[in-house]
Amino acid sequence: MVHALSEIRRVLIPNGILIDLRPLLDRWSIEVVSAREIKETGRVQDFPLGLADDESANKSLTQAGQNGWFNRNREEYFSYSYSWDTPKEMEAWIEEEWEGFIGMDEETIRATRSAWALGDADTRVRLNVKMLITQWKVMNEP
Amino acid sequence: MTLQQDAEGNERKYLHAFADFSNKRVLEIGCGEGRLTWKYAPASSLTVGLDLDQDALRVALIDSPHDLKRKLFFTRAQSEHIPFSKETFDIAVLAWSL
Repeated sequence: MVHALSEIRRVLIPNGILIDLRPLLDRWSIEVVSAREIKETGRVQDFPLGLADDESANKSLTQAGQNGWFNRNREEYFSYSYSWDTPKEMEAWIEEEWEGFIGMDEETIRATRSAWALGDADTRVRLNVKMLITQWKVMNEP
Repeated sequence: MTLQQDAEGNERKYLHAFADFSNKRVLEIGCGEGRLTWKYAPASSLTVGLDLDQDALRVALIDSPHDLKRKLFFTRAQSEHIPFSKETFDIAVLAWSL
């Protein structure tokens, strides 16, 4: 990853901008949502592989900063939502797209299915992913 | 499957708040099928999407809006070996890929 950041710096102009945009594991919340109400039914579990992945990315960027390649200008968190018609669609998606990174415990699965089944006709299931966006500026060589 | 993503448009909003893409040369690392690319490429003067996944790049190419075809390119490469000379781009976007 550090090598990749070195390459990115190489192809950027002096004072060029690097935008790092990525999800951060943080036990993302699961909600059952309709026009009438929003009900949180649980949170996903963060698995060690995913946490290690985030840690590794953070370390690489810190290293790039310490090497004098980039300067961190600005950083913010925001929510990026996924939503599905049914809980089963969400469960399948998590299994397919995030296998080894996040999972759902039985209690959350049950609570989500139950709240959805009792909901209105427009009820959907939503996963709120925590996103990190950081602006880095290329530091000019001395 | 009826998956909806970012109905609030937060990603686009934050992306444009953090960088002015107007007439800039942009390199996107990990562009995949171009989901994020379409959100800023219209403003750029040149956008290059980089990814290792050939199938995803094929989808991105097929899905490219017609009016972007002259300034939008995709290439299969590793981020550790970016096939461009130094100081080619104004902005680089690491798209869910670090």
